[in-house]
Amino acid sequence: MRQDFEKLFSHLKPAEPPTGLFDRIILAIRREQELRQTKRLLFGFLFLLFASFIATPLSWTMLVNQVENSGILYLVSTAISDFGTFLTLWQDFGLAILESLPIMGIIVFTISFGIALFTLRLFLYKKRLLLGYLINNFTPLEIIGQEKNTRQTNL
Amino acid sequence: MDSDQQLIADYLKGDEKSLEILIKRYLKPIYSFVYRYVGNEQEAEDATQEVFVKAWRNLKKFNQKKKFKTWIFTIAKNTSIDFLKKKKAIPFSKFENEEGENALTEKLIDPALLPDELFEQTSVGEMLNAAMKRLTPKYRMVLFLRYNDHFTFREIANILKESIDTIKTRHRRGIAILRKILKEK
Repeated sequence: MRQDFEKLFSHLKPAEPPTGLFDRIILAIRREQELRQTKRLLFGFLFLLFASFIATPLSWTMLVNQVENSGILYLVSTAISDFGTFLTLWQDFGLAILESLPIMGIIVFTISFGIALFTLRLFLYKKRLLLGYLINNFTPLEIIGQEKNTRQTNL
Repeated sequence: MDSDQQLIADYLKGDEKSLEILIKRYLKPIYSFVYRYVGNEQEAEDATQEVFVKAWRNLKKFNQKKKFKTWIFTIAKNTSIDFLKKKKAIPFSKFENEEGENALTEKLIDPALLPDELFEQTSVGEMLNAAMKRLTPKYRMVLFLRYNDHFTFREIANILKESIDTIKTRHRRGIAILRKILKEK
């Protein structure tokens, strides 16, 4: 029975998709893909911005404290004030300065400062994309309406 | 020819062409399925686009052990229903009772489908098309999915989210009604 009906149904002309529908679908998928990428980029950017906003001042404070407590400033000022002695004992001085360097503070500050610079660079490179996405998706409807009205009035 | 599963796997690995092949493969059956549901070219076009975008969005979540064809037809069915809801039209099926009988069919007169006109139609395709239009959507959909899109009862049950027994009953009744309509000629 199934074959008989399948044969019968083969006489039916299926509704033909209009030309251009395939391209429309591909275009819609591409647009969605771009939107998804922009969204990902925006979230990444916001995360980095937030992280660097918190990390940079904190790591700077930590670095300053460590420098103050390490005695490196005392060694440097001695080297400057008594340059002759420094020249004679430069190897010992150098070693003492190196030993008193706040390595952890320097590393943490360098990383957080690097992140801040990278975030700034990311914003500068993709500002149009990021701002465009923010304007299109997060502008309150009243503002969009007001903008449209202003444009129409100007025209 | 690559299987659907292979095409999906290739696309997920980064081969964009595979997705295009997959869309081309299902464009016609999906469009025709959606068209049968929404009954309007413009809306069928929009709904078909929506079906493929939804499928693309969820492609990563698609269970490769299942049949892609059943999955995409399920999306098509849900999208078509959403479109009908958006139109705020009451679906014809709403008037059907559990037995699949439609209170409206008794009252509505469809001028395009008078038996006399059926007599005049010469081509088998046109005749069948007209006969199918006289069936209620529930029966029509089951018959189309079974004989036009070549699904098994279990797959139809999955697509329409009904039990297999309900589908078999609808199929049996649909066939009986279709035979009756065709015999009237």
